[in-house]
Amino acid sequence: MALTGDLKSFSFADILQVLHSDKKSGVLIVEWKDLTVAYYIKEGEVVLARPVDKVFRVYTDRDFERLLEKLRLNERSLAETIKKFLLPRLDNREGIFSFTQGFIKYPEKVPVYFPAEYIIMEAARRLTLEETERKISDELLVFEKTQDWESKVQRANLTDKERLVLELIDGTNTVKDLLEKSKLDKLTLYRTLYGLLSIGAIRRKKKKVARKPSISLDLLAKLIEKIKKL
Amino acid sequence: MKDDVKKIKIVIAGPFAAGKTEFIKTVSEIKPVTTERKITHSKEKQKKDTTTVAMDFGKIKIDDKHELYLFGTPGQARFNFMWDILGEGALGVIVLVDSTDPQTFHEARRIINFFQSRYPIPLVVAANKQDLPNAWSPSDIAIALDISEEEGIPVIGISAKNKEDVKKALLLLLQLIESSLKEE
Repeated sequence: MALTGDLKSFSFADILQVLHSDKKSGVLIVEWKDLTVAYYIKEGEVVLARPVDKVFRVYTDRDFERLLEKLRLNERSLAETIKKFLLPRLDNREGIFSFTQGFIKYPEKVPVYFPAEYIIMEAARRLTLEETERKISDELLVFEKTQDWESKVQRANLTDKERLVLELIDGTNTVKDLLEKSKLDKLTLYRTLYGLLSIGAIRRKKKKVARKPSISLDLLAKLIEKIKKL
Repeated sequence: MKDDVKKIKIVIAGPFAAGKTEFIKTVSEIKPVTTERKITHSKEKQKKDTTTVAMDFGKIKIDDKHELYLFGTPGQARFNFMWDILGEGALGVIVLVDSTDPQTFHEARRIINFFQSRYPIPLVVAANKQDLPNAWSPSDIAIALDISEEEGIPVIGISAKNKEDVKKALLLLLQLIESSLKEE
């Protein structure tokens, strides 16, 4: 299955959310206007950023350790590649991406200097209000913390303002309440909620069904039979 | 008497060009009533030539006294007011997304948020165009839409041109409605 798209409509926060949440391994290629970069992803973590002149070259290297030897990179310099070729590009939307799963062989342990949660929050801090409204589209939404929110937040390196928002998320406050109680501006609040949602520290609280569906079980059974026979 | 026929309503929502009209056409027993007009927005025109401007509807006769109506809502955000009109009294919602276009995922989430905060009725996401080579998998789409297990929204892969797929999506929604009826 493909994972392709345009950074204008699907930001880095969104891409990493999908890759990290499902612990995918492979290579994410982003073709920016000025540069093409291959981001090596191991179990949802970005472990190397490698600029390439031609995309096909990425697919000729199928062993990560050999690739590091070829590029004369050591474990410590991996962090530098991410600092140089990923973090400064998080607000650049002029690119298309495609993720290819699984063709590269990674060793069991590859150091992760910038956890996915950290990068996702960084990317969320660069979203426009319009972009944040893709997820935070309604002031009536209510969020709650997930079970393992603490471990996720620990890796995300939150700012004081983001921590304040997290404290206020209790499964009852609506987005409107959060805006009033935190006294933050809308953009900061929405970026924070977007980031926390994307790293999986919070989730939307399911609203209980207010009324029973207006159909009897007998009629529903008839309808199911009818659909089956169509 | 024709007026004695009780109308049961299911809403087929989704972003622009997600395949709502096709979905309804595939299972409707009548020729669907559509309100398609030629597209004038150049960006939208790149995807298709016509779009729904009020609503589409198709019909399935259950028995002499009951009919199922499938209402398709216009996809563009400027027609959001129609969701309110169609959401009222609906039994459930099927939200279609174009699996080949991540841009539509955000719009789909916006629609889900709308229905969840105003009409919390059973909802299924149908990841359409799974027959195309660059389609995202339903599980990746679920993550992109932030659908957690607790939210209880199934994401099913379909091709709206395929009758069996459309039936599968409808049956999944009806099963959710059945479970919610049986809940204490």
